[in-house]
Amino acid sequence: MSDHADHHNPGFIQKYIFSTDHKTIGIQYGLTAMLFLLFGFYLMIMMRWSIAYPNEPVPEWMSFFLNDTWKAQWLQNGKMPGETYNMFGAMHGTIMVFLGVVPLGFGAFGNYVTPLQIGAPDMAFPKLNMASYWLYLVGGIIMCASFFLPSGAAKSGWTNYPPLSFFADTQHPNQWMTGQTQWLVGMVFLITSSLLGSVNFITTIINLRAKGLTWFRMPFLVWAMLVTGFILLLSFPPLEVAGIMQLVDRVWDSSFFQPSGLYHREIGLVNAAGGGSPLLFQHLFWFLGHPEVYVLLLPAIACVAEIIPVNTRRPLWGYKSMVYGVLVLGFLSFIVWAHHMYMTGMGPAISTFFQTTTNLISIPSVILLTCLIISLWGGSIRFTPPMMWACAFLPMFGIGGLTGLPLAFSMLDLHLHDTYYVIGHFHYVVAPGILFGLFAGIYHWYPKISGRYMSKVLTHLHFWPSLILINFLFFPMLIQGMAGFHRRWYNGGDAYVVTDPESANVFGKVVAEHIDLNILMSTSAWLLAVAQLPFIINVLSAWIWGKKVENDNPWNATTLEWATPTPPGHGNFTKEPIVYRGPYEYSRPEVDEDYYPQWQAPVKPKAETNKDA
Amino acid sequence: MEIPYIVNPRKDTGLTNSKIAIWLFLASEVMLFGGLFSAYIFLRVYADYPWPERALPVLPGLINTFILIASSVTVVMAWASLKLRELTKFRIYMSITVLCAGLFMVLKGMEYNAKFHHQAVRLNDYAVVEGHLHPHEGLKGTEITIEAETVSIDLFKFSKSYYADFSAEWDGKLQLEKALVVDGEEIFPAGQAISVDMLSQAKELFINNRANNAEILEDKLRQSWKFAKEETPGENNRNAERKKLQNDKYKELVDAIPAGDLKTAVGSLTFKATSPIALHIDPKKIYKSASDKEGDSGSIVLNDGTTLAGTMGNSDIVLDVDAISFRHTVMQAEKMGIDPEAAIANSWLLKDEGIKTLWDNHLIVVEKLEQHLLEEYKTKTDANGNEVAKRVPTEADRYRMGWKEIVALEELQKAGKDLHDLTHQEIQDAYPSMTAGFTGADHKSGKYNFPKLTIPREQVLFESKFTPAWNNYYAIYFTMTGLHGLHVIGGAIVLAYYLFFGTGMYRKNPEWLANRVEVGGLFWHFVDLVWIFLFPIMYLM
Amino acid sequence: MAHSIEEVKKSQKKFLIVGAILFIGTVVTVAVAKIPALDIGVHGFDTADLILGLLIATIKASLVLMIFMHFTGEKFMVYFSMGIAVIFTICMVWLIGWSKADPIQFENEDVFRSGIVTES
Repeated sequence: MSDHADHHNPGFIQKYIFSTDHKTIGIQYGLTAMLFLLFGFYLMIMMRWSIAYPNEPVPEWMSFFLNDTWKAQWLQNGKMPGETYNMFGAMHGTIMVFLGVVPLGFGAFGNYVTPLQIGAPDMAFPKLNMASYWLYLVGGIIMCASFFLPSGAAKSGWTNYPPLSFFADTQHPNQWMTGQTQWLVGMVFLITSSLLGSVNFITTIINLRAKGLTWFRMPFLVWAMLVTGFILLLSFPPLEVAGIMQLVDRVWDSSFFQPSGLYHREIGLVNAAGGGSPLLFQHLFWFLGHPEVYVLLLPAIACVAEIIPVNTRRPLWGYKSMVYGVLVLGFLSFIVWAHHMYMTGMGPAISTFFQTTTNLISIPSVILLTCLIISLWGGSIRFTPPMMWACAFLPMFGIGGLTGLPLAFSMLDLHLHDTYYVIGHFHYVVAPGILFGLFAGIYHWYPKISGRYMSKVLTHLHFWPSLILINFLFFPMLIQGMAGFHRRWYNGGDAYVVTDPESANVFGKVVAEHIDLNILMSTSAWLLAVAQLPFIINVLSAWIWGKKVENDNPWNATTLEWATPTPPGHGNFTKEPIVYRGPYEYSRPEVDEDYYPQWQAPVKPKAETNKDA
Repeated sequence: MEIPYIVNPRKDTGLTNSKIAIWLFLASEVMLFGGLFSAYIFLRVYADYPWPERALPVLPGLINTFILIASSVTVVMAWASLKLRELTKFRIYMSITVLCAGLFMVLKGMEYNAKFHHQAVRLNDYAVVEGHLHPHEGLKGTEITIEAETVSIDLFKFSKSYYADFSAEWDGKLQLEKALVVDGEEIFPAGQAISVDMLSQAKELFINNRANNAEILEDKLRQSWKFAKEETPGENNRNAERKKLQNDKYKELVDAIPAGDLKTAVGSLTFKATSPIALHIDPKKIYKSASDKEGDSGSIVLNDGTTLAGTMGNSDIVLDVDAISFRHTVMQAEKMGIDPEAAIANSWLLKDEGIKTLWDNHLIVVEKLEQHLLEEYKTKTDANGNEVAKRVPTEADRYRMGWKEIVALEELQKAGKDLHDLTHQEIQDAYPSMTAGFTGADHKSGKYNFPKLTIPREQVLFESKFTPAWNNYYAIYFTMTGLHGLHVIGGAIVLAYYLFFGTGMYRKNPEWLANRVEVGGLFWHFVDLVWIFLFPIMYLM
Repeated sequence: MAHSIEEVKKSQKKFLIVGAILFIGTVVTVAVAKIPALDIGVHGFDTADLILGLLIATIKASLVLMIFMHFTGEKFMVYFSMGIAVIFTICMVWLIGWSKADPIQFENEDVFRSGIVTES
């Protein structure tokens, strides 16, 4: 466009706040998402206190920011009551999933890295990209601002199941100004944001690839972002439908999700038309809910897949099978959702179907993980900061994945459903799995973003405590879950404990045996928070004091993002990049260096170097 | 570097950026409406109430279908005109498209409006009465009347704007029942008249005192735990001795709090009416209500926690009846193994003389219809070898009277005709024509008589306007057509933008505008495509 | 898209014809639903009406898609994204329906009604 030249000298606001540059937007996404992650973490710290020490007041260092009025409203003489716990729990889940991990993985890495890796000057629609970020921010703020409403924030779990969520916050003068309604409003913003984002990503990847960058020369990260984009594009609309229908239920009193004859302890027979179905919500919710797991996972696994070849100095093992794997994974992720709903009275035929597809989807997941592990074999591994995180990702995500298998079977799920086992399983996937992968990504691309390395000492201070503590935090959950601990106990099972050895209450005795793990887990959680301090210090201080990079390609990597200036300017590339080969050409015999970048013109034009990887 | 493929397509994909984007967007729209359609199917197939098929007046829907089809043709013609570089033709076609969008929304608005003013009542025996509300005794709609004697206000939830809704009725009539005494100090004397200032002040006092108390008690709780922990080193919090120590210490500490430190936190104020105030409460504002029956002593809790206590007043619903349906009654009766005919005969509705006559006449109409169908379509042999009519009246024919039937029967009765003497066709001829009552029962023109019915509140199981609240058919109707309407508005804005601001683009590069119009047109066709399905499933099925 | 001037001129006529077909299709659907004499199947709404109505709607929708939206001459990526959207929509409708249609069936449901489960 002819007005493109105007963008080269933008003012401060245009450059850093309302920027249309994909790199700035990526950083905005990253910083915002990390702030939300911190907030979600903080909510969990409070919750863990209630679990470990249910009868003791929340210590002052946790509740310092609550003023007396707030304490009087949300705490009970300093203790955390069940309602507040529920509110924090619902918001912890929502914030971590929708406002933290997805924007960090897809929003930040997708935005920053993808256009660079495909040799594009920017995203296909920069203004849409900006709109996408701002919608996300507005949605997030709307959701979090609902803490300040008299009703408090949403309190029916991150899944927002009706009729529980239908009854929450009904007794308020203005239904719009309640946390439960604002959750839905915020969600509509977030969904619109990811819709715009995914349209933009897919278009960019399809149409803006550099010359010579054929499909099978695309780095794995680009493939993963493409699949993630499609998942977001197609799985979010049904949740939007569910959200809108629930909004209509709340504000215009319809009964989409309220069955006939619904009875409430206080109100009695509910004054609603009835005839709806709570299960319909669950179906529409999980139609997004399960693919969402892969939206969380794929960017992280993609970061790891980029980091491993660079730091082993050998090609990614099984690149093509990984690509096909991720495509199959993306497809299957749409037809497994009801394994979250085995307990809703589904019959044997349909539950067999979902058990089958759920087990099928573990095959591409295992392919991805196996390829990454085999890639390590025989490499000359450099334990750079990103590589440490990437290596930790593999076993941690492995535990997360394998603990999911029992949940895929309806018979075992009968016992494990809604227990801490489930919590342990998906936190293994998301925290030490996905978040470690994303940490790896931050350490890997930080030199490109800032032109400086992050401190190695601080990295070690961040990495080792995190790795150890996170296992102390989540592994006991698996044990507790098998002992039957329910995931929504706000007092950690204190009310169920039976100490009398003569008692016939077997469950109470089992609870008594495992309840003290709570203290270990909670302490680990709080120390884990402390262990993130080196990271925050590292990110901020390295920006100013970090060691400067020697050249534009500090890791000696092969993919296109390292062909840009450091940091990349507006338009990214100084000259139009041309791609000559696949993404992971390390230790090739025809060049002297152990890497052969995609953009480097062939030394001796041989026939085989022009072939696809 | 600049972003490529804005106007000209990329060679290997053959597409411009915006073309890919719009198709991706449409793919997501397919999922959006797919989700809605699957919700529709789910709700309809598993409905435990009679699904009101063919309930909407078809004419506005039909006209809207024509409008959308026409606009789809014009938008594609507008694009073709641009391709042929005929700017004037483009403008004409595009203007028609945008006008069609406006017309569509106007008709939609008329339909919605008719529904928002149409009342339905489900009685305790599941009989359904529809009609227009007849204002009476100060009731504008379906308000619940209570002769309030006391009013308690929840100070925490008290908000000025909500209070304003009632202040006209309350001011000067409500007095504080008991003096508000906080720590020996009389804040408000008994008998003080209600006012916003007073409530705001009491609210602030409550919140401050509550915070003060919480702070002190929290501190004591902390001290007690600290003490208990020091006494029992090496134990954990579930240790019985530690628990006991903590508990005793806490009690001791709380008892030792100097008098006056803990303030009285009064969370609600109760007011007495000088004489009972008749309040008409919108049912939407009611959280729960103890009784509906006139003359009962009752209490109503409003959504802001305000409790009204007193005697229930006259909350009857008076309707100009334009439809009666026993379909739900029959459904419930069959579920419980009761004879449907008996269930209908026992219905409260038929205790009303006028309605009873109407219903008896309806039975004759059904009989005539049955006869007519038998003569017209003859019989067939069923699986058991019995001769049965090929076509029989439907459930809706048998158990529901629509507005046209009601006015026709009233008309015939007035003319002194005996229904038994008339043929099916003659009865049909008395019905208002297809175009009568464009958006439903015609109460406005005054051409038709509707019987009036007074329904005591205690007979009402559920009542609502024809909004999403009435049943899931209307809920999904409003949700789907509402979302579709938003798409129409959005699409019209985009197309209007090309119409009014596209000339600049056209001057620079006509192909650019043509591409944009094609993309906007694709969206517009999709909106039309959704309506092509919405129209039959909502209006005709 | 490569639309030459002649092609566009030719297709203008096509657009008008399609518009007319859409009008006629709508009228037919309404007539079948509303005029008793034209009622197919049994009296009132039934499966035959459903099938006919949806069939006509589908034909109309495909005309809009094929002619107005030039879907016939599109590129692979367009087919791909619309294709998977349609597949997933079908999966959604089918699986949600199946889940509801296949409830757990118990041999003796009285056990649950009485609330007492005796050990066998």
